[in-house]
Amino acid sequence: MRYRDTLVTTKGSTMWSVNGAVPTTIIVAGLTLAGYALLMTALNRRMGLGLLIGLGVLEILLLVLIGFIVARLVEGGRPASLPTLLGYLIAMPFVPLAAGFWGALERSRWGPAVVAVAGLAAAVLMVRLHEIWPVIRV
Amino acid sequence: MASPEPVASPDPAVSPEPAAPRRQSTRTGPGRVLVAVYAIFALSATARAGVQIATKFSHAPLAYLLSALAAVVYIIATVTLANGSPTARRIAILSCSVELIGVLAVGTWSLADRATFPDATVWSGYGSGYGFVPLVLPVFGLLWLRYWSKRTA
Repeated sequence: MRYRDTLVTTKGSTMWSVNGAVPTTIIVAGLTLAGYALLMTALNRRMGLGLLIGLGVLEILLLVLIGFIVARLVEGGRPASLPTLLGYLIAMPFVPLAAGFWGALERSRWGPAVVAVAGLAAAVLMVRLHEIWPVIRV
Repeated sequence: MASPEPVASPDPAVSPEPAAPRRQSTRTGPGRVLVAVYAIFALSATARAGVQIATKFSHAPLAYLLSALAAVVYIIATVTLANGSPTARRIAILSCSVELIGVLAVGTWSLADRATFPDATVWSGYGSGYGFVPLVLPVFGLLWLRYWSKRTA
């Protein structure tokens, strides 16, 4: 997903943009994790170490992205709706955490399915972040 | 993003004896996924409605009030599906029904009368802004609740 021609509407400079590598990596990681998790569901497997590691990687990537975005905010960049962006920044790190707990409580094939939901949600969040604040390139 | 309730559900997976039957309810099995998706919608709809009403209510009052209604319905559905008691299931059937009627009514209304909806709600265009998940979710919710009604009858 590329938005190369997006107009960067942050006041001041058009130079401020969050490196697209991290959101793109999160999309790829989220979709890969979702695919792997759905495969586990199809194979009738329970939650395993592989899925937990995948969630851990997703968590780290999300935290790195939050760091980048906060850095832009500190530099003085502002999205159209700051409360919405802050809401995303607060909620984002809980996606893999909640999926890990909620999925681990389930000792059936539906545990991995919860992880799949988290992976898809992380990918969708990146597209939404870009819509909220176009300087966050995807 | 429903926080797991450590008090209500003493994780059956931890107990080593395989003979102990696992307590099943609307939150286990496929319901685990349903509750997860409902929780995401409860959170996002609540946040969206909150920001809309707090920052620009006069811009599209009807749309924002409907967003708030959707948020309440999603919260109730999440909590009741995660609870799973007979009373909770009855409330869940009601909230999933309201949700289905809401997405169909608001979806049709938003397409027929665009002027009334200058800004989108979760249910605008039958939930097209959310990959039509708002349209599919109550159907799965009601099917899952019907399965439980039959099972416990």
